[in-house]
Amino acid sequence: MTLRNKLGKAVVGLLMGCYALLCFFPFFWMILTSLKERVDVINPAVWTFKPILDNYIDVFTKRNLPLNLLNSVIVVSTTVAASVLLGTMAAYGFARFEFKKKESLAFWILSLRMLPPMAVVISFFILGRMLRVLDKQLYLSVIYMSFNIPFAIWMMRGYIEDIPKELEESAWLDGCSRMRGLFSVVIPLVSPGLIATAIFCVIQSWNEFTLAFFLTSFRAKTVPTIVTEFLSVTGVLWGEMSAVGVVAILPILIFAFLIQKQLIRGMTFGAMKE
Amino acid sequence: MGWAAAGLRGLAAARPHPGDDVKRRNEHLIFIAPALVALALVVIFPTIFLYYVSLTNYSLTSGWEAKRFIGLENYFFLLFKDPLFWKSLWLTLLFVLTTVSTELVLGMLIALGLGRLKLSRRLILAIIIIPMVCTPSIIGLMWKLILNTEYGVANYLLGLAGLGKVNWLGVQSAFTSVVLVDLWQWTPFMVLMLHAALTSLPLEPFEAARMDGANAFQTFFGITLPMISRLVLIALILRLIDSIKVFDIIYSLTLGGPGTATELLSLRIYRIGFQHSNMVGRASAYAVIMILAISPFFTRLSGLLNRNAK
Repeated sequence: MTLRNKLGKAVVGLLMGCYALLCFFPFFWMILTSLKERVDVINPAVWTFKPILDNYIDVFTKRNLPLNLLNSVIVVSTTVAASVLLGTMAAYGFARFEFKKKESLAFWILSLRMLPPMAVVISFFILGRMLRVLDKQLYLSVIYMSFNIPFAIWMMRGYIEDIPKELEESAWLDGCSRMRGLFSVVIPLVSPGLIATAIFCVIQSWNEFTLAFFLTSFRAKTVPTIVTEFLSVTGVLWGEMSAVGVVAILPILIFAFLIQKQLIRGMTFGAMKE
Repeated sequence: MGWAAAGLRGLAAARPHPGDDVKRRNEHLIFIAPALVALALVVIFPTIFLYYVSLTNYSLTSGWEAKRFIGLENYFFLLFKDPLFWKSLWLTLLFVLTTVSTELVLGMLIALGLGRLKLSRRLILAIIIIPMVCTPSIIGLMWKLILNTEYGVANYLLGLAGLGKVNWLGVQSAFTSVVLVDLWQWTPFMVLMLHAALTSLPLEPFEAARMDGANAFQTFFGITLPMISRLVLIALILRLIDSIKVFDIIYSLTLGGPGTATELLSLRIYRIGFQHSNMVGRASAYAVIMILAISPFFTRLSGLLNRNAK
């Protein structure tokens, strides 16, 4: 019986290990490909070789990667800052006040987060064309608020509701307004949740492709849309593509590991608390 | 117009309770209004605009001024004259059903398996985050390299195992490949969710079941599953909604091809509106259909996430 148990455990462990390898493999292969010489890139039998950095040098010097990275950083930082600020304020309104149809309004806001980007991008494209704001970082950053604000409201509401109301009430007695109370009492207390929410918004915005693909063409082009350059040329430059991929994905992976504990709470809009 | 109308009703209903003094009863608006105004500008107005564009013959080539109001013509076209619309709808349905159900079953098996591990569990839980957070458009291209018939590492590994080459992205198997890549990307979501649900369960019912001599299957279907059913349903609906919308990873993997083999609804919208014919008005009608296809799931989800029901 114990032998059977041990064997069973070993099999389960082995299967789980294989699954984890499978999850990791495409990223691993991307790192490997990015370090290969051009001839080896299309030879899947090459697993050990002397790594070279040529692909990285090429994407930083011969391509627009620095510009694309800068655009991504500008778009992501502005949209996340604005969304988290507006979202936290609204979340406070939902968490601490009672008003009619509060829950329906809250769900309806969350539903905006789920609109298909392929559908709304058509309007954004036409409106952007009329207003002559296509291919501008600020336009993309405003548009990204459409999915970041609902997310921030929904997440922050949960975090604020976890904070006992009494802590704020003593501040009110000292003559603090509710708005002051939010910024000086509540926000410091929910800062771990606030940071997790912000990181979540960073990941979503950094990875966003559909909207960026339609609303930018050259000057405001962000990192995920670089793939279109590699799709158009015949015979993709896989080495350079992989180098771009590693540069794009590595920071996001670090962010994701930082919020590993809150990840599931974020992905389920608070239905599953950590 | 369902969503916009619900929003307006919500706004109207945000009126105060009668009897409170004016300052108190409007206080929540100070906090909520800025976000609502921003959302009205960046989501509500564009969504209403989309419905309007879907009733016109606007195309990129002739320009905004040249467009005409044509009523429901775009909708009649997609319903009766575009067999590819029905094909894309069918492919989307097939894609959603196969990916979401397989992810649920695999996710459950893996979550149960992880529950039996001790030391390595945390490491594995950390690694399986990777597929979900990788930039989809970029990792889609990476899969294109991995699945390349001639020099892809997938066929190389199959060769080592003594198996023949598979034309992963050919007409025959492109759809399956797209499904497999989605399974790779999103099964971890189910695993994380179900693992969290399973570890939060109380121990007593399981001990009682063991006392009564229940076997593993009886315990799972009689106790475990009913106890986590709400979370399973939430996970399913969240995946359903995301799965209907999928665009970026398929765009870089197959562009909807070869031919129309992987042309899901979102890719059909893209091709109609921007790639082939520039008929944005017509594409908007397809997009409206897509929003309508998602809304019932959202209604169901809102009931499940309701805080008051907890």
